[in-house]
Amino acid sequence: MKKRVTLTFPQTTVHMPITYKLAKDFNVAANIIRAQVAPNQIGKLVVELQGDIDEIQAAIEWMRIQDIDVSSASGEIAIDEDSCVDCGLCTGVCPTQALILDPESFQLVFKRSRCVVCEQCIPTCPVGAISTNL
Amino acid sequence: MRTIAEINDKILQGKAVVWTAEELKIKVQEIGISKAFKQVDVICTGTFEPMESSGAIINLGHTDPPIKIRQCWLDSIPAYAGFGAVDLYLGATAMADYSISETLERIPDSKTDRERGGGHVIEDLIAGKSIHLRAIGQQTDCYPRASFENNITKNTINQFYLFNPRNLYQNFIVGVNGGDRHLHTYLGPLQPRLGNAVYSNPGAISPLMNDPDLDVIGIGSKIFLGGGVGYIAWEGTQHFPLQKRLPNRTPIGPAATVAIIGDAKQMNSRWIRGCYLKNYGPSIMIGVGVPLPVLREEVILHCAVRDRDIVAPIVDFSIPRRVRPTFGLVTYQQLKSGRIKLEGKSVRVAPLASIALSRKVAEELKELIGAGKFTLTEFVAPIPKDRSFVPQDRRGSSLNLD
Ligand code: SF4
Ligand code: SF4
Repeated sequence: MKKRVTLTFPQTTVHMPITYKLAKDFNVAANIIRAQVAPNQIGKLVVELQGDIDEIQAAIEWMRIQDIDVSSASGEIAIDEDSCVDCGLCTGVCPTQALILDPESFQLVFKRSRCVVCEQCIPTCPVGAISTNL
Repeated sequence: MRTIAEINDKILQGKAVVWTAEELKIKVQEIGISKAFKQVDVICTGTFEPMESSGAIINLGHTDPPIKIRQCWLDSIPAYAGFGAVDLYLGATAMADYSISETLERIPDSKTDRERGGGHVIEDLIAGKSIHLRAIGQQTDCYPRASFENNITKNTINQFYLFNPRNLYQNFIVGVNGGDRHLHTYLGPLQPRLGNAVYSNPGAISPLMNDPDLDVIGIGSKIFLGGGVGYIAWEGTQHFPLQKRLPNRTPIGPAATVAIIGDAKQMNSRWIRGCYLKNYGPSIMIGVGVPLPVLREEVILHCAVRDRDIVAPIVDFSIPRRVRPTFGLVTYQQLKSGRIKLEGKSVRVAPLASIALSRKVAEELKELIGAGKFTLTEFVAPIPKDRSFVPQDRRGSSLNLD
């Protein structure tokens, strides 16, 4: 299964090779979707964990013991409908088809459940209608 | 046969039959060309797309003591001042001077950056917002003032009209990237190895696709421009009517263009939007609607053209030369399906023109005409049909499709 989580690191664990540990000790692949890690600061990672459900659970428990905050609420994409002009440019870069144009109305449709918060759509939008709350 | 005068009489009496281009295309399928011709008086076309060769003429009014402006910035965006004393031209793609934007980029939340351009300032002025003006003058006996700063709105300046030297491109290209480096283009991001494709013309609903030889519109034709009234002023820059054409007369690539003009004070910022294409620059998206008078049956024949009947060339942007290699032609029906096949690969396609808002422009124009609030004009001179295209540094238009 796949599970998307946000990891918040205290300063001390920022340097830990976390994805390596998850792969080696738990057989869980961690696909980094977004990273915000700077020296001497709290780090944030949005990752998609892929593996057996029990192993993902064990990996999450291990991370919590390491003082890493694990929350399933990852950043969310918001689309300002008043600003959006339904140009559709974002639909061409969205890797998961979370953003599509309705084939009849040609208006933008955002399917939140498909969004992996890769944020590629944000700089693509010519009128700045897309943002993230993270 | 109908005349514009007859159509206008009907409009003023509330009796004109007005259809959008999309309605017409469906009607023709149902009842055929001759019957459709008998019923309809006006066909409304519309588009909403980035049109970067656009800009605003502004006359500020004279200061006391007066100034002859030589350099001028509106919200840090430079405006051209090489006219009379307080006449300015603000181009849609103008950006803050590099030295200024570099300083400002380091200030978080600063309103001015490279993403904001002339198009955004035009949108804000139309929306009634206040814009900061800074001007440097050449001191003369007539105009002793050396500099001037003020905040302006559209109500504190004399003229404020759009004069767009190239709008309504009759057809355009489809951009792809066959290289292995991510490209930022005027069509938006193009991902390497044919990762995506972008087209920018709304296809069969687009104004000049419905009057391919510009037979019923010309200089002086009244149009819907940004929510207000505008006129076709001249042939557009890069006007290239001699582009190769299909038997239905639609061009197979970029062809005719028009210059348009209209009072920006009457416009609505819903239809005039500053925009920014990442790492390319600022531009402006404009809603333009063109009413086509149904003078002859031929008008219906041309308006009946559908997305499957018109094509655009697929151009590879990975080779930054004037003549770029193409992957051949694709129909707008294929483009609007969201996927095209290229070299055996299914490639996702996104538009850059808003098809939804293009339709709304046509509907809005239809309502105005139906309500007797918008009449048509006879054009005073035709748009030339014989302009060739001088290769100097034209962009996207020089296609070798043999
Ligand atoms: S963040 Fe990524 S997945 Fe989500 S809508 Fe934007 S492009 Fe699509
Ligand atoms: S790119 Fe922006 S304006 Fe265009 S459809 Fe997407 S969100 Fe809307």
